[in-house]
Amino acid sequence: MPTLVGVFEQPAKVAEAAKRLRDRGYAELQVYSPVPSHELDHVIDEKPSRVRVWTLVGGLLGVTAGYALTIWMSTNWKLVVGGKPWASIPPYTIIAFELTILLGGLATLLGLLVVGKLPRFRPDPAYHPRFSAEDFGLVVSCEERDVAEVDGLLRAHQAKEVNLVEG
Amino acid sequence: MAEIDRREFLKLVGASAGAAAAAGCSEPVEKLIPYVVQPEEITPGLPVYYASTCRECPAGCGLLVKTREGRPIKLEGNPEHPVNRGALCARGQAAIGRTYHPDRHPGPLRRTGEGSFEAIGWDEAIALLAEQVKQAGSGTWFLSGDPGPTASRWIDRWLAAVGAGGRVVHEPFAPEALRQAASEVFGAAGEPRFDLTDADLVIDFGSDFLETGPSPVAHARQFAASRDVAEGEGRKARFVYVGPRLSMTASNADEWVAGKPGAAGALALAVARAAVDAGAGSAAVREALAGLLGNFAPERVAAQTGVEAETIQRLGRAVARARHAVALPPGPALTGRRARATAAAVLLLNAVSGSVGRGVRVSPAGAGRRASYRETLALIDAMKSGRVKLLLIGDGNPVYSLPTATGFAGALEKVPFVVSFASLADETSARADLILPDHTPLESWGDVVSAPGARSMVQPTLRPLHDTRALVDTLLDTGRALGPAVAARLPSGSFRTLLEQAWSDADWREAVARGGRFEPAPATETVSLAPGAGRIEVAEPLLEGEGDWTLLAVPSPWLYDGRGANLPWLQETPDPVTKIAWQSWAEVSHATAERLGLELGDVVAVETPTGTLEVSVYPRGGIRDDVVAIPIGQGHTVGYWASAAESGRPGEPRGANVLDVLPAATDESGGRAWLAARATLRKTGAHRRLALVQTSQNQRGRLLGEAVPLAALAAGDGHAAEHGGEHDESHGNGHGDAHHELLKPFDASKDADPDSSYRWGMAIDLDRCTGCSACVVACHVENNIPLVGERRSLEGRQMSWLRIERWIGEGSLKGGRTLPVAADPDEAPGVVDVRHAPQLCQHCGAAPCESVCPVLATYHNPEGMNAMIYNRCVGTRYCSNNCPYKVRRFNYYDYSRENWPGLLGLMLNPDVTVRVQGVMEKCTFCTQRVSAARHAATLEGRTIRDGEVTTACAQACPTQAIAFGNLRDEKSRVVEKSHAPARSYHALHELNTRPAITYLAQVKRGRVGEEG
Amino acid sequence: MTPPPATSVAAMMRPLPAAEDSRSNRDILAVMGRPTLGYVALLLLVVSAVAWALGTFVYQTYVGLGVAGYSHPIFWGVYIVTFVFWVGIAHAGTLISAILYLFRAKWRNAINRSAEAMTVFAVATAGLFPLIHLGRVFKFYWLLPYPNQRALWVNFKSPLLWDVFAVSTYATISTVFLYVGLIPDIAIARDRSTGWRKALYSVLALGWQGTSPQWKAHNRTVLHLSGLATPLVLSVHSVVSWDFAASIVPGWHATIFAPYFVAGAIFSGFAMVLTVMIPVRRIYGLERYITDYHFENMTRFILLTSLIVGYAYGVEYFIAWYSGVEAERTSFWLRAFGPYWLSAWIMITCNAFVPQVFWFKRLRTHIPTIFVVSVLINVGMWFERYVIIVTSLSREYNPAVWGQYTPSWVELSILAGSFAWFSMFFLIFLKIFPVIAINEVKELEIHEKEHPGGEYWEHGHTYEEVH
Repeated sequence: MPTLVGVFEQPAKVAEAAKRLRDRGYAELQVYSPVPSHELDHVIDEKPSRVRVWTLVGGLLGVTAGYALTIWMSTNWKLVVGGKPWASIPPYTIIAFELTILLGGLATLLGLLVVGKLPRFRPDPAYHPRFSAEDFGLVVSCEERDVAEVDGLLRAHQAKEVNLVEG
Repeated sequence: MAEIDRREFLKLVGASAGAAAAAGCSEPVEKLIPYVVQPEEITPGLPVYYASTCRECPAGCGLLVKTREGRPIKLEGNPEHPVNRGALCARGQAAIGRTYHPDRHPGPLRRTGEGSFEAIGWDEAIALLAEQVKQAGSGTWFLSGDPGPTASRWIDRWLAAVGAGGRVVHEPFAPEALRQAASEVFGAAGEPRFDLTDADLVIDFGSDFLETGPSPVAHARQFAASRDVAEGEGRKARFVYVGPRLSMTASNADEWVAGKPGAAGALALAVARAAVDAGAGSAAVREALAGLLGNFAPERVAAQTGVEAETIQRLGRAVARARHAVALPPGPALTGRRARATAAAVLLLNAVSGSVGRGVRVSPAGAGRRASYRETLALIDAMKSGRVKLLLIGDGNPVYSLPTATGFAGALEKVPFVVSFASLADETSARADLILPDHTPLESWGDVVSAPGARSMVQPTLRPLHDTRALVDTLLDTGRALGPAVAARLPSGSFRTLLEQAWSDADWREAVARGGRFEPAPATETVSLAPGAGRIEVAEPLLEGEGDWTLLAVPSPWLYDGRGANLPWLQETPDPVTKIAWQSWAEVSHATAERLGLELGDVVAVETPTGTLEVSVYPRGGIRDDVVAIPIGQGHTVGYWASAAESGRPGEPRGANVLDVLPAATDESGGRAWLAARATLRKTGAHRRLALVQTSQNQRGRLLGEAVPLAALAAGDGHAAEHGGEHDESHGNGHGDAHHELLKPFDASKDADPDSSYRWGMAIDLDRCTGCSACVVACHVENNIPLVGERRSLEGRQMSWLRIERWIGEGSLKGGRTLPVAADPDEAPGVVDVRHAPQLCQHCGAAPCESVCPVLATYHNPEGMNAMIYNRCVGTRYCSNNCPYKVRRFNYYDYSRENWPGLLGLMLNPDVTVRVQGVMEKCTFCTQRVSAARHAATLEGRTIRDGEVTTACAQACPTQAIAFGNLRDEKSRVVEKSHAPARSYHALHELNTRPAITYLAQVKRGRVGEEG
Repeated sequence: MTPPPATSVAAMMRPLPAAEDSRSNRDILAVMGRPTLGYVALLLLVVSAVAWALGTFVYQTYVGLGVAGYSHPIFWGVYIVTFVFWVGIAHAGTLISAILYLFRAKWRNAINRSAEAMTVFAVATAGLFPLIHLGRVFKFYWLLPYPNQRALWVNFKSPLLWDVFAVSTYATISTVFLYVGLIPDIAIARDRSTGWRKALYSVLALGWQGTSPQWKAHNRTVLHLSGLATPLVLSVHSVVSWDFAASIVPGWHATIFAPYFVAGAIFSGFAMVLTVMIPVRRIYGLERYITDYHFENMTRFILLTSLIVGYAYGVEYFIAWYSGVEAERTSFWLRAFGPYWLSAWIMITCNAFVPQVFWFKRLRTHIPTIFVVSVLINVGMWFERYVIIVTSLSREYNPAVWGQYTPSWVELSILAGSFAWFSMFFLIFLKIFPVIAINEVKELEIHEKEHPGGEYWEHGHTYEEVH
């Protein structure tokens, strides 16, 4: 199944082209961009990123762990220090807060990897270093017979060149 | 000398706990070897106590020697002993160090050259001595301190048997003038003894009875008893100190009359005169003294004594009004060339006040020969003229303790053969041709006459650590070696058997067990004024030299005449007045310092006709402008701690030896005159930093050492209750009111586990604390506290868990920019306001140190102690930062390895962990003692009784200023003591740390003769 | 323009031509090029300084802390001072990348990478000091709540424990933040490198290709991390300040400490960024990316925080006086006029007075001035901590044990070593990772191309806004 790569200079054009292609029924699209570009964010996938869930869960885990650990550990030896109760919440809140941040942050990183499907060790055949320079790439996989049409559509949206790579 | 460190020792005796704890986590595991045959009286882990007697000073206090597994580890007072009643002074506490001292002579030594000796066997040594005795014959002389009655008797017998020249006793501080004065005034030969228990007015003309007087512990106890405010009006004795310098004793007085040095006699008579005018004295006394007192009208002596007539009049009235006024004659520092007349004058004052026969008794002269300075000087002349062929030197260190001007050291060179019996190396033994080391007191038998009716026993408490022999045994063996003729005149058997014979009148076993035979003092024959009493001649003191300053050589409260200088605990304990450790200094008045442009620590040259001395100055308010005072006791050149060897300069003197600039003067009686020279002071431009362990004596009105006026007590002033003297008008800096709202009363007994039967606490009575620091040394010895030495004391790195803070009044907001600071000018003649406040861990109920420790190394244990877990400590030192009392210490180095040279490790308390490098430590309320008591109680299925356990500090205290006990026991002594509404307060109460220690404010009794 | 028609599939079967690289890539990657002689010399210097400090530390650990200047009652000294100093430095990075990110301050893009890197290295430096100052450093792990047979846990009520958690959390999160930001740039480097670098970058880039799902997740991640890091950065120095505020030491026990310390931290952090970036920009000719405009913005921050810090100094003295507590009054009086007066006045001058020059536009944009002032601020902030810690401890409640403290050569060696340690990491970083966030800079450039003349630099709008 052949794969065409349209090389663009402006993210806006990529977006238009992608939209057009999807309307024409070409579902298997992928975009390479050298920079984050909000025009492109939702071309491929409408839904907002699910990283947010990871952060939330991590944070909740952290705050619970914070209080649970401190209080449980205080029960092992109920030592009196400075005339304070053996488990005193105000100071433990600081620990709980720090753990919230810690686990929340780590979970977010994990979310990035999962959601962004990282790490991936075999680069796509369609990927090219120019896409980490200034060019944008729109990758379309299609039937042999549609190659010409796709090519045309890409060029119609000011792809400065269109290349065919083996998928 | 076999190096045995503490760990090995513990292995030998098989005490496990100590070793495991001491080892810490990073130390290798070691095997513990149990006894093969266990001595029946020893249970490993349990102490055995032996009664004995302290030989540090002539007072002869009773000891209980605490031994563990055959090693003495601490000296405690013998509660049955009439002199000290269970207390023991700083010097006594430190005395244990002599036995384990690195400077001990391993065995007989023969001199091979300048300062070099070779070890020889006893047989050889005795043969050698016998040979010398044979040659010397009547040229043989024996010089020593007082070795005790039995030893004295046999030494004399021996000297007679071998046809020796004779024996001379030299005691630097012996009250020779006083003895003669007594016979002059009362016609009764004997030694006047003073009892303050029933006195309601004490006038001290400089005896410094609380530090270096004839019997410091006994006098401290009597003094405290006479002033005990708890026992109602009758007991509030007044105390006036008359002398040129505000000594430690003086700082406990109500009033300081800064009379000129040497003016004591004239003042005493003038006061007597004023008293007589006010109606004091029996008719007989008045009649006998009429002529004498006629010349001593207060107005006439005012100029000569430097005391206003008005003051003298007032004292006179006070004496007249007093039921029982006791006057004490000057001590060594003020013993001048007219010492006998001075002492006589003071005795006459006592006669006038009518206390002779009550507070002042003349006990009949004891057997044996008395110390005589005159004889000592005669001996020196004989030595110089070569008439002394062989000099035997018993205990004592004459090369150091005699004034350099006597030329004793030079005279010693002229003696063909010198034998020393010293058990520790000192300046004298270093010059001996033969050293035949005696046992230390802890290893030997002996006896002492402590007081009339009190015969004390000295018994060995461990097998001699070195190849030493009892002095008398050495002599007897030598005698026998001289052939049958001599032997026939000598007893058979050892000194011990002779001692037993000497005690044949008593039950030997009981005497040994109880530490002697104590009977009530025999009724002294009532002394009355001798006919010649009225004819004594009191006049201006005779002083050599033309300087503007009178040189005062002050006996050091710790080093005494210098014999304490080689005991590190005494060097480490800061002087009670200047708070300087390990060093010498010269006290001058602020005016003097200003006049010479001297700052604290500037080196000044003190010049007398006899010589020159360079020493750092300590300017203070508590000294007359015409006086310079230098403590006796430093300047040794031999001894690990006595000399500068500890500071890495062996052979060099530590500090300055004031004896170098004192003339070899005597008084009319031939006694030693210490007050004999004028000095000129010259700024050298050099500066030597002084190791002030307490950096400031100005408490800036903070709640540390408080005082309340007597009036407040009478009024039962509840207002004062909360705020310990805060209401005092003279309060430094009007922030007192702020305290009033802040100070909320609290119940310290609540601060422990509800289920626990104990909450340990303490009550410290500042009105009883004299600053004698017995507690400080006791704490050091009990708790294996490292001794850091001079350099680290200068760095402010002392380790003591308990320190006595000396505060001059409420203090002011002055100063603090530079440290350390000299004593305030507020220390002025008149009403004395110096507060000695023992500072130790307060075992707070809400301890700031606990909550900040990240690893829970310190916490509040169920019995309310602020516990410190050394093994858990990682050394963040946050606890100390957060401790407002600053009583936590940090192990900067691994003291456990380097701090106990020689055999000193053997005296470590195996119940107390030796702390490792990098951990914090602090007062534990002697938790090891509490544990022991708890164990005993548990075995009997009961709780610890009150008084069953006490801390080392409380135990040592001569005035019982410290009470330790269970705050949850309503009837305990500590609770009873803490309940003093008008006086009780808590240090830094406003911080709400809920301390377990209640302080009782010092009582200010005001000017004598102005009651109320 | 109309593209040529596709003739046949075969005709199109050719490899992609290598497109010429973007300028930003070339410029910024150039920094990572072959090191100059000067660079090598400098690196050697700092490495040997670190080695020396390490040696003294070993010596101290063996002999005991007696070799440091501590003496009763001053048990905290140069080590804790330096700890607080470096923790403070560590605040600029997160502030710039997190808080300015949330405030949409686009100008941060040029400096956030270097700032974040400094944060990580500063924390790595600071973290050493609480251990160096321990009496028994080999027991440091007792500060961590690790499971052990006797169930001996730590004391969570101790401010030092709060420190352990705050600082380690901060170290972790700021590292994560740095790395996440780096991923796309590492990918850029990967595509343009060979040999070991290629291998290294391939691993670190995690196979990043800049596909839109990746970018979307990435943006979201950065946003959330910013959200988390913002309260964190404020908490960390608050917690550090509570090491002091939670005690009862006069001069420490003050409620304003948290905001006061945070402001001080940002203050010193920005100063350090300037101190480091001004030479870097000069040496590697990055003027195109880091403009005077950036520096000027930072000086504005410095001016603001300097005013806050100066105000805090004033409040401390006022409260000490107003409280009427003699111990407090004495402590502060002697702070300014006692034995440590010099340190106190260095601190006040450098932190409160000197930065006032930034009221003037000419000086705000005069690079040499900025550099000198930033260095002075670093000095002043070190002394601030020295004054707070040492003078307060030297004059506490009990005048009997008031003390004096002088740092020993050991402490000073280790202090110097800490600067070397920090520089060492930064120098290495320069050569391994892009010192400027290429993709963020590039984003702005590309946007420029699309909307020429837009004031995108000043107040940008980000992806989230658009949706």
